[in-house]
Amino acid sequence: MQIQPSDLGLIARVAELGKRYGSGSGAVTALDDVSLGLRRGEFTAIMGPSGSGKSTLMHIMAGLDSPTSGRAWLGDTDITELSDSALTVLRRRRIGFVFQSFNLVPTLDVRGNIMLPFELDGRRPAQDEQEWIDELVDALGLRDRIDHRPHELSGGQQQRVAIARALATRPDLVFADEPTGNLDSRTGREVLGLLAAASARYGQSIAMVTHDPVAASHADRILFLADGRIVRDAGRSSAEEISTFMLGMERAA
Amino acid sequence: MRATFAGQWPTLLVAALAGTFGTALLHVTGVLAVAIAADDVTGESDTVALLLGIVATVFIVIAVYVSSVVTANTVSTVVAGRTRLIALLRLIGSSARSQRAQIAREGLLVGVAGAAIGVVVGTGVAFALDRVAVATDLMPATDYGYANPWVALPAVAVVLTTWLASWVGSRRVLKVRPIQAIGNANEHDREELGGRRGRNITALVFFVIGTALLVLGVALGLVSPFGVLIGLVGGIVSFTGIVLGADVVMPPVLRRVGRVFGRTPAARLAAENAVRHPERSARMTIGLVIGVTLVTTFSVTMASYHELILAAQRAQPEVYQGVDEMLNVTVAVFTVLIGFSALIAAIGMVNTLSLSVMQRTRELGLLRALGFDRRQLRGMIVAESAALTLAATLTGVVLGFGYGWAGAQALLGSAQGTPALVVPGIPWALFGGLLVAAAVLTIVASIAPARRAMRVSPVVALAVE
Repeated sequence: MQIQPSDLGLIARVAELGKRYGSGSGAVTALDDVSLGLRRGEFTAIMGPSGSGKSTLMHIMAGLDSPTSGRAWLGDTDITELSDSALTVLRRRRIGFVFQSFNLVPTLDVRGNIMLPFELDGRRPAQDEQEWIDELVDALGLRDRIDHRPHELSGGQQQRVAIARALATRPDLVFADEPTGNLDSRTGREVLGLLAAASARYGQSIAMVTHDPVAASHADRILFLADGRIVRDAGRSSAEEISTFMLGMERAA
Repeated sequence: MRATFAGQWPTLLVAALAGTFGTALLHVTGVLAVAIAADDVTGESDTVALLLGIVATVFIVIAVYVSSVVTANTVSTVVAGRTRLIALLRLIGSSARSQRAQIAREGLLVGVAGAAIGVVVGTGVAFALDRVAVATDLMPATDYGYANPWVALPAVAVVLTTWLASWVGSRRVLKVRPIQAIGNANEHDREELGGRRGRNITALVFFVIGTALLVLGVALGLVSPFGVLIGLVGGIVSFTGIVLGADVVMPPVLRRVGRVFGRTPAARLAAENAVRHPERSARMTIGLVIGVTLVTTFSVTMASYHELILAAQRAQPEVYQGVDEMLNVTVAVFTVLIGFSALIAAIGMVNTLSLSVMQRTRELGLLRALGFDRRQLRGMIVAESAALTLAATLTGVVLGFGYGWAGAQALLGSAQGTPALVVPGIPWALFGGLLVAAAVLTIVASIAPARRAMRVSPVVALAVE
């Protein structure tokens, strides 16, 4: 009998993943034989300097890009085999995104943006889903902003809307790509606290790509990437410990 | 600067088309004038030639006007897409004034090139028409020399209006702040709507005065056909009011039309996209509104006239023999001449839609990342295109029907000796044609942007600008 990723308590897994851009002498290896599993309900940070392959890894795990070699699973689904339209449905139902530049739809108000994943699926939220959305809106302090358009909100508020949108469908996994990159440090800390709470309180699995040690210090687990390889797999760490390790990596390189 | 010229192809096309139209029309009327002067019966008076000249001028002015509206709109859309580059140049130390002058200079160059192409192609078209007409015995051969100095007029008009339109369209450059080059990826999505109040009041004043004159013309028309002259002035003034106030008039229409497409997310987003820049969508559609209104006005007036002639024909068949055919030919020729302006407006719409989709790459990527499939994305673009086309066509038909009926009433209200109500003729053939044209335009306008949208990778939404 084949062992499924979910049997191991994993929400996502990649095996012997490789990604190369270009060919011949100009080829660039973005990922080199990466294997890892993300545990259900955990807040994982993926760290590494620019060009370490962390963004490529996230793109492949989210079904946005395809690997040159190896496989990736979301739950028990092998997403490397899926067609574009199957991946589209997968993103719609089982993955949430939080981006660095917020990326709300400018023509929709806050409610419209949060409801968008359901609308794309051609359905209304069921009763329990609606209660969940209401709870999110209150917890994120968006109640009195619900009819506002994105351009009427501050950066921190926009990012909270994006988090509400990502959590609304209770996806298997939320990907956050430098979610604090465009925020001041206080607002950034708030957003990180919200992500950590979503994981701790609601058991939401989150994978966050960042190069900010302070952001990574909010995570339960920290994976370090360098030159397309995983170089360290650490548990919860302080920002100082993370910085020290990052600086060491720089010196070794 | 190669990159800056990339967005200018549509402007060149529009300038060349307007130039071609003007040149060809002047040559054709020139040939006709020579032919008429040579004819024994009509040659005595200059009236026919003069009338031909006036008619040609009117149509050329309409075409040049529509093309300058289109050009101003294209330029401001291009500028909106270049905001970051302009901000960067401002940051390095270039002044807003010189940035704007650069765009206006491009406009002048494009205008000159378009006018030159127009003169060459227009002369060729007129010459070909001349030869075909002579070969098929529609017209005797003439000794019309193609070195007609009047042809310079539409060419100069095209150069000047393209230049002016580029200048007007580039006023947004002045609002770009250098800080926008280093600011975060926060989209500055809203166009500033400053200075609108004054224009809206002017628009309202024009509309009210024009409508009053139109009513007066209709009332006078009950006793004298000269009522139509007052009505004509009223029509022009009130329509100018509508064109000036387009950004108040068009968005509500676009919103209503948008609802027709249902409540699916693709349709809803499309409807919102169509009104996200009220000023831009107004400018995008107003050219088409002008074209459709003119065509409809003319057709409704002629159809009403036709009804009257038919009634008279039934009473005295021998007197009105052959009138029918002449009327049909006149209607066809005029419709084609006005239709040309509508064509220029349509090109403008196609172009602006493509540009605005290109500028939304990131947003399209976001929708893909969130789970829009390619078909939904295409549906959204097509619905957006359809909303713009339909809104423009409907507005034009409604306005044209009103103006056409008013014109017919003012002109023909007293035709039977006693004041009478003229039943507006309904040009069904035209409405059918407009429907087909609108459908074709919707599809043509959405092909390129839809293809581009479907190619957008969801990864671009994650990239940082």
